[in-house]
This record gives sequence, structure tokens and C-alpha cells, in this order.
Amino acid sequence: MKFSVSSSELLKQLQVANGSIGSNPVLPILEDFLFTISDNKLTITASDLDTTITTTMDVMSDSDGTVAIPAKILLDTLKALPQQPITFTINENNFGVEITSAYGKYRLAGENGQDFPAIPQADEVDSIVLPASSLIQGVNKTLFATSNDELRLAMMGVYFQVDFNKLTMVATDAHKLVRYTFTNLGSEVSTSFIVPKKALNLLKNALDSKDEVKMSFNKANAFFEFGNTQMACRLIDSRYPDYNAVIPVDNPNTLTLSRADFASSMRRIAIYANKTTNQVILNITPGNLTISAQDLDFSNEATEKLACTYDGDGLTIGYNAKFVLEMLNVLESDEVKLELSTPTRASILLPVEDVPGEDILMLVMPVMLSN
Amino acid sequence: MRKIIHIDMDAFFASVEQRDNPELRGRPVAVGGGGIRGVVASASYEARKYGVRSAMPGATAKRLCPDLIFVKSHFDVYKTVSQQIRDIFHDYTDLVEPLSLDEAYLDVTENKKNLNSATLIAQEIRQRIEVETGLTASAGISFNKFLAKIASDVNKPNGMKVILPEEALDFLEKLPIEKFHGIGQVTARRMHELSIFTGADLKKRSEHELQQIFGKAGRHYYRIVRAEDEREVNPHRIRKSIGSERTFNEDLHDPAEMKARLSDLAGQVHEYAARNNNFGRTVTIKLKTPDFRQFTRSRTFPQDVTQLEQIIQVVHELLDQNIAEIGAVRLLGVTISGLRLDRQSGIGVQLEFEF
Repeated sequence: MKFSVSSSELLKQLQVANGSIGSNPVLPILEDFLFTISDNKLTITASDLDTTITTTMDVMSDSDGTVAIPAKILLDTLKALPQQPITFTINENNFGVEITSAYGKYRLAGENGQDFPAIPQADEVDSIVLPASSLIQGVNKTLFATSNDELRLAMMGVYFQVDFNKLTMVATDAHKLVRYTFTNLGSEVSTSFIVPKKALNLLKNALDSKDEVKMSFNKANAFFEFGNTQMACRLIDSRYPDYNAVIPVDNPNTLTLSRADFASSMRRIAIYANKTTNQVILNITPGNLTISAQDLDFSNEATEKLACTYDGDGLTIGYNAKFVLEMLNVLESDEVKLELSTPTRASILLPVEDVPGEDILMLVMPVMLSN
Repeated sequence: MRKIIHIDMDAFFASVEQRDNPELRGRPVAVGGGGIRGVVASASYEARKYGVRSAMPGATAKRLCPDLIFVKSHFDVYKTVSQQIRDIFHDYTDLVEPLSLDEAYLDVTENKKNLNSATLIAQEIRQRIEVETGLTASAGISFNKFLAKIASDVNKPNGMKVILPEEALDFLEKLPIEKFHGIGQVTARRMHELSIFTGADLKKRSEHELQQIFGKAGRHYYRIVRAEDEREVNPHRIRKSIGSERTFNEDLHDPAEMKARLSDLAGQVHEYAARNNNFGRTVTIKLKTPDFRQFTRSRTFPQDVTQLEQIIQVVHELLDQNIAEIGAVRLLGVTISGLRLDRQSGIGVQLEFEF
């Protein structure tokens, strides 16, 4: 089998697929890209068994066939080549690969493509179509809140709830929580599933905001198709915690202030907070917000006053500054609203101005102050 | 370049008992471990010759050394002596970081006696300890905490060792891996499997590789073998938590047995907290699986948890909630934090959603 392709075009596709190659694959062949040629179409597949990325491109080929090619050496070769047509010649007996460039020849050992593990296929599944830009937004606004705790598998992913014309994405690590909803969805299904964070990270980087994404899912897998690329990922098979139960319904105290001012103040004050807890203290009275932190180990201390509108009882509450900053950073509105109840109950963070077609709610658990 | 001294009392509890009971002198003595399930808290050097070690079950110790004399501990006496030696340290510097009753780090880079030689200071301190308490101590002297700690072990008991900056790398290269402070039995065994037997072997491994194998600790190993340790001697170190943990000879599979072990650990923690009147608001269990994945689970209360029954109930519940995902354990631990005495540090407790 022999085929020719533009080195830079191929590199572009390989770099998309490469994201799903794991660092310590269970099977040696998973360190390879699977090349399958059929009818002058090259399909490239890379997988860590949990996440699989497939992408296709046109090539000039003399026959159909398949081969697995070691990913790292191939990528390194292409990165070091100026853009030019290159030719791959595959020895179908021993799967040796020979690449010919304008400069010379490079040989590497491939493997039998038939040995590559089977890739899950989207069979008889529900599907919805949405703009990639919406999905990118949703991922960017939720991913940071996922957990790294292997004992809470469900929280290591983002919970997707499809409800006909509405998609809700939820992420939490038990300290903070984001619920992001967008409407105007063309869907005829109602279902829910948990997509692992690794897959979403890859997806976010592979998506082009101009694309449309077809999202389909069955019991075990989710599939994302966009442009010439498809990503399949194994869903997290676990029950998602009942997040609605922890969203407070009666937080009577509301603090409204500039998002940018709040964030930059938090950033400065956090420098003076204890590095392990990032604990900052908000002292709130009507019209007056004081943010402070101290680190007794180093005698560091900082206090700032901020303009705000506050409707409620005087309150002193502690937060991990890192959490609050992460949350403020994904919001876009000029002003934000913090709805509070007591210093040991969850606080709600909301944008003051809504973005049409989307709805976002964030929760953060406070730090219980020691005195 | 800093000048750090690590002072470590020799067989502290056992030596105090031998000092106060002349009939025990020259004989193998174990403090603690007399009860059915008790463990040895400290063994005299005569007992160590037989292989008796601290943290060893009393029964095992007795088997190794049939003449072993078990004596009860006298913590009030140990505390008094501990205060005596701390007073001596403070004659030289206020940068004293006690690690326990019987060991401490001193930063003598600048000292109250304006002595240039840390070795001389260590020598004086050891002499004064012997004269004023009748007990011996060993000392390690170097330019960071890690090296000073290792050095104090080299000529123990009743000796000292200096590791000069120009000797440090050479010393660490020759040092067997299990002698590195912070590399325990298990890590040492893993390293042996990877053909790492000495500091020199360890040094050949890249930071990336060590991180892949040992996680966060890998970076620490990479640094210490290069004699890099910037930790300051911290005189204000306040106990952040009280914990007890145990690695089992065989993995535990039965939740009922795990609960029994957790109850024991909770008992030890509670006893220590009660003795120091230092209870906390957060109860944590630690679980390590046979494949060395480690998890902690905690629960925080609005008030201090002071009742042993409540600690036991919490640790059992935390186990119940998580055991399905884990299956078997090789280690269990119980810790309380958010301690009363730590709260002056102003550090609060991050709360969680109750899903």
C-alpha cells in the first residue's frame, strides 16, 4: 500500500487525534495511530480505550489497507519537516513503514492494524445537534469545577442533562458547583449521562467554534462529531449526586458588586492568605465590604474595602479565594450577585445580566472560620 | 548558608526510666507494650540489640527478647525533661522547632552566644543535656533540616556528625536508600525493585520519572538526594492534627474487621487529644488500597468532637460510605484536625456539600 499526503495537513490531523493517546497505555499498540485507507480517504484513529478520536482526510492512494504507526516518532518527523508532499509505503507482510520526503527516506516499524482494539460505534443512539460555540462555552464554564477524587467517580466528569430543547451541564467537587443551561436546542430526547473530564478537555481543544456538533449517546458511550472528526468516549458509569438538593432556596442576604473589582481584590488579598487554605474573610455590612486575609506563619496580612450594594444582615464569611476566583473568571457579566444565608451554608453566585439563551448558577461552600 | 542542628535524645523514654530506676540500668527495658495489644513506645539500647523496636507489639518484643522488662510510661516526667532540654536550646537560639518531646531542629546561623561553629554549639548542648538531665543526646549538624536529621542518626547513641556542604552530595550518594529520612520500608522496597539502592542510584532518575512512580513525593526525593531542602526551622509550629494509622501485615477485606481497627485507632487518637485537652472539629479517615492508592474522607462538625463514641461512629460511617469503591485496605488511619489549640492560627475548615 502506498499513499501521498501533504505533511502539514497530516500533522494537523494527527495533532487532533494525539490527545487521546495515554501516557501509559495498557496495550503497546495504543501508542500508535491507526491508519485506515479506503477509497482515497485516510482515517486516523487514536485511543486510550476510554477516549477515541477519529479523523479523516483525503489522500492519494494506490490501494486500500490498514496499518498502525508509532505516534511519537511519526509526529516528531512531521514536525521537523517543512510543508511538502510526502509518500508512505507500507510493506503489507511485516508492516514496515517507509516515508519519503524531498530530503530522503525514513523507515519505522509499524504494526498490524487488525490488532488495534475495536472502536465503539454509534449504533441506534439518540442524537442532538448544537453549535460548537455553545458546547465550548458549556465546557469552559463547568470543567474547572470537576473533582479529581477517584472515590467520587461521578464528580470526575460533567453531568449532561438533555431535556428536549434544553441542555444542562453540571460540575462539582463538593466544594463548588456550576450549573450551566442553554436552551434553543433542537432535540427530541430526554436523557442524562456523565462525560469524563479528560474527554471534555480534548473536545474543547479540538472543536472549532464555527463547527456544528452532533452529539449522540447510548448507555455506555457518548459520540461527538464535528468537521471531519469524531470523538467517542466511555461515559462514567456512576450515579450523579442529587445536586438540586444542595442548591439553597432561601438565601436572603444579597451582595451586588462589580465582577472585575471583586476578582482583582480577591487576587491581591489571596497573596496574603495561608497558602494551604487560601482562606479569605468577607466582612459584609450594608454598603460596606471588607476583604481580608492573614497568614500567621509569616506574619502576612492584608485588608481591602470595596464598594458594594448589600441587602441583608451583617455577616462575616470565609472562602477559599481560589474557588471564588475560578468562578468569577468564567462569568462574563459586569456585575455579580452573591446570595448568602449563614457563614456555614452554601453561597450562590450569579451574573447580574443574563446572556440570552443561557443560564448559569454557581455555588460555593464557605470555609468555617475558626473563631 | 544556614547552620542547622538536629538534636535527638537517645532512647528517650527508656533512658528516663533507667535513670529513675537504677535496677533497670544495663538491662533490656521496653516502655509500654505490656498489655495484650500494647505496642512498645520506646526500647532501651540493651533491648534494641535483640531487635526490639518502638511501635512493635509487646508480644513480638517479648519473643525476641525473653528477658525484656516492660515498664509503664510516665509522660509527666518525660514532659518535664523535654522542657528542660528546650530551655537549654533557647539559651542558644529562639529558632527551635520541636518535632516531639525528644527531638528538635535548631537554626543557629545567628545565635545568642555569637558562636561561629555549629559543631561547637551542638557539643555544648549535648554536654549540658547530660549534666542537667543525666541523659544523652545525639546531634546532626548541616546546612539544612534534611541533612541534619540524617546526620544525627549516624553516630547514635551519644554521638554527633557534621555534614559539610562540600561533603553533602558525596554522603548522600553513598547513603543506602532506606536511610533517607522520609523513605519508609514500603517506598524503599519499591525503589529496590527499580534497582535503586543508594543515593547515587536515585540521582540517576529524572524528576519526571520519579514523579510518575511516586507522585508528589517523587519530586521531594529528587530534591533531597541533591541536598536541596529549603524548609525553615519554624519555632511556631502548632500541631495541626492528631492522628494514628496502621499498616497491616495482611490486607483487610472484611469491613467488620476494618471497623474494629478503626475503633482502636480512634481510641488512640482520642486518648492523646484528651491528655492534651486538644479536640478538633474535623474527623478524617485515611485508607490505602493494596495497590497504594490513598484516600481520605472527612466530616466537620460545628463543635469539637470530644466523645470517643462519636469519633467511632463517624469513622465507621465514613468507611461505610466508601468501602464499596475500595474493597480492601493495607492501611487505615484516623485523624482529628481543626484542633482547639490550632485555631489561634486562624485556619478554618473548608466545608462540603452534603450530597
